[in-house]
Amino acid sequence: MIRFRTLWAAALTGCLALTACANPEPPPSPEVEVPVPLPDGIDFDPDIGSDPADTGCDPLASYEPDSIGAAEAREQLDDPDRVVVGISQSTNLMGYRDPVSGDLSGFDVDIAKELVERLVGSADDVQWVPMTSGEREEAVNSGRVDMVVRTMTMNCSRWEEVEFSTEYYHAGQRLLVASDSGIEGLQDLTGDHLVCTGAGSTSPRNIADDSEAQPVTVPDFNDCLVLLQQGVVDAITTDDTILAGMAIQDPTLEVVGEAFSEEPYGVAFAKGDTDLARFVNGALEDMIDDGTWQEIYDRWLAPHLGAEPPDLQTKYQDE
Amino acid sequence: MTVQSPPAPPQAPTAPAADPGGRRFSRALAALRYTPGRLRGLLAVLVVLILGAGVTGMTAILGKSAVIEETTTQSGRLSVAALELYQALSQADSTAASSYLTAGTASEEARAAHQEALRDATVALTTAAGEVETAEDAQLIAELNARLPVYTGLVESARTFNRLGEPVGATYQRQASTVMRSEMLPAANTLQHNAINQLSEARSAAAAFPWPAVVLTALALGVLIWAQLWLTGRTNRVFNLGLLGATVALIGFAGWLTLVALASASHTDRSHEDGAEPLELLAEAHITAQQARAEESLLLIARGEDAAAAERYAEQTALLIDDGGLLDRLGEAYGDDPALSEPLAEARESAATWSQGHDEVIKLAKDGSYTEAVDLAVGDDDQSLAASFDMLDRKLTEATRISADRFVSATGDAQRSLSGAAVGLSALCLLALVSSAIGIQMRVAEYHA
Repeated sequence: MIRFRTLWAAALTGCLALTACANPEPPPSPEVEVPVPLPDGIDFDPDIGSDPADTGCDPLASYEPDSIGAAEAREQLDDPDRVVVGISQSTNLMGYRDPVSGDLSGFDVDIAKELVERLVGSADDVQWVPMTSGEREEAVNSGRVDMVVRTMTMNCSRWEEVEFSTEYYHAGQRLLVASDSGIEGLQDLTGDHLVCTGAGSTSPRNIADDSEAQPVTVPDFNDCLVLLQQGVVDAITTDDTILAGMAIQDPTLEVVGEAFSEEPYGVAFAKGDTDLARFVNGALEDMIDDGTWQEIYDRWLAPHLGAEPPDLQTKYQDE
Repeated sequence: MTVQSPPAPPQAPTAPAADPGGRRFSRALAALRYTPGRLRGLLAVLVVLILGAGVTGMTAILGKSAVIEETTTQSGRLSVAALELYQALSQADSTAASSYLTAGTASEEARAAHQEALRDATVALTTAAGEVETAEDAQLIAELNARLPVYTGLVESARTFNRLGEPVGATYQRQASTVMRSEMLPAANTLQHNAINQLSEARSAAAAFPWPAVVLTALALGVLIWAQLWLTGRTNRVFNLGLLGATVALIGFAGWLTLVALASASHTDRSHEDGAEPLELLAEAHITAQQARAEESLLLIARGEDAAAAERYAEQTALLIDDGGLLDRLGEAYGDDPALSEPLAEARESAATWSQGHDEVIKLAKDGSYTEAVDLAVGDDDQSLAASFDMLDRKLTEATRISADRFVSATGDAQRSLSGAAVGLSALCLLALVSSAIGIQMRVAEYHA
């Protein structure tokens, strides 16, 4: 029975050898970088267009009020007793829906309410339609809304798409930084500073032209505030009105420097709705004269952008 | 395990060689010319064949047993944990968004669900961490672990800012969802797929038929029968009790081995078809529904100003309820199943109600009736989409539980079908060995007597 024993021995050794080989090396310790939450679509090296701005027109010049009455203007509404207004629901101070009360509030909203009241007699006969900035032109021209009051800067290329009122606010691009950052204006920005701004606007171009800083774009400029609070970027640049709406949410931030762009805001109408534009221009003139405009400014923007409002230029096209 | 081939058939004697090994070999060959030598050679062949059959059969059975053990333990636990992790994370995401959007009781309920989901996720992550075997899986677990506190930090910041009435809370909530959607869920998904792949590799190993053992047994049987015929011719005795016993033992061995292999394969297949397959599909449907729900809330949190969220909602919903979508596939595959058909049909119905309601929510939000839109989407009355979503969620959970029970019982059956087989088979194999040794020794002894 010697064969028998050797066979068992061989089998046993074989089994042992197999188990020894099958025993795996312990896997190496995983290496993980510190996670930094970033919004979808953030671009640390945005492509900044170099086309010269279209200056072939005067963006501030709108239609003279003449003697267009509310009745004539109402004919250009879809429903003569109800005004449909496009606004923002997510731009603090300008157009924002209060999460607690559910009410819309802000500078743009109050201006729009005042215009609606003068147009149809009651500020309640309004339907608010929230929209993104990219939807504004399409919304008025498709008839989805009668007018858009949504931090919309008038410029020559937009004048080709829509009609604008006269200027109802004069904003400018500025910087929002941490109070202790030592940055007091464009001159303090170096190539190491990342400056966040919304994609698809003129802001990245302006900051790149006027300073050394590296622009970073995000699809929605609200993401900039989170990035600044988390230390991913050093500053935010966009219209001072929007920056003020961010600054009041965080006492460690402040709006600094002089404005380095002109952002005249106008109410937008469908191309051809000039009677509506004329009426609104008249209403705006009245609001400035009778102190209503100042009241709305004091309510929303004065505490953050100074008691002295920017000069409004009311200009009309020579016809 | 290699199998030794039987010794070469007897050859003509060769000239005596000079070296001792050669001498021993030629002596052995010379012995084969006489009956006792032939008998001993026959015994050697039988011992090798029976041992080979025994060892390969045993290895196959023990291997199957180990693999089934593994499906119920290591890879089984890993895939269950990965699945739970994936589901808990999606649920955490959708409940956080609902809680942000609502106020009062509904918000507190959603928050409680969010905290439960986070607990489930951490428990599942811990279980998974204990079961991983590859460097890739360990890396995924580490990535997930590193991101979980970042995610919860963002959710809590969102909640705090929201309570203070600061709009930036909405951005934090969206940011949290982005971390979850673009980093954590894909990692959990990869982990789950890895675990399921390991599981199906194990399954095909467990279902394989033990051919080497069966072939060796057949060869041994052949030699045994030939030996008995040869001995009958030589000794005029019809039966050799030893060899006959060995034959019976070997036939028993072959039969038992075949039965056990077939039974365990059928149980393992059942665990796959009735358990693992529907479980995977159900989990996918569940997660897709959670994701669509999260996007719906995000859309409202962004005040309707997030076109990307609307697109993602549409994508997830299409995956879920379109023709050929997940619910469709589930209905086709398990619609006739007595236990699964009812929850699956109700899940489809709720999904349809939810999707129609969503269109209404979007219409309200687009028309500026934001408060009504939020009420319809996440409010706590019966008409709210929360009701139809919860129903969908509950029905999918019910179907998942049924499939999970089936998986556990089928793997248990497979395990039971193997129990005792190893001991019984080795006893039969030993019996065959001893009987053939006795049967042959008895004949050899006659020559020396």
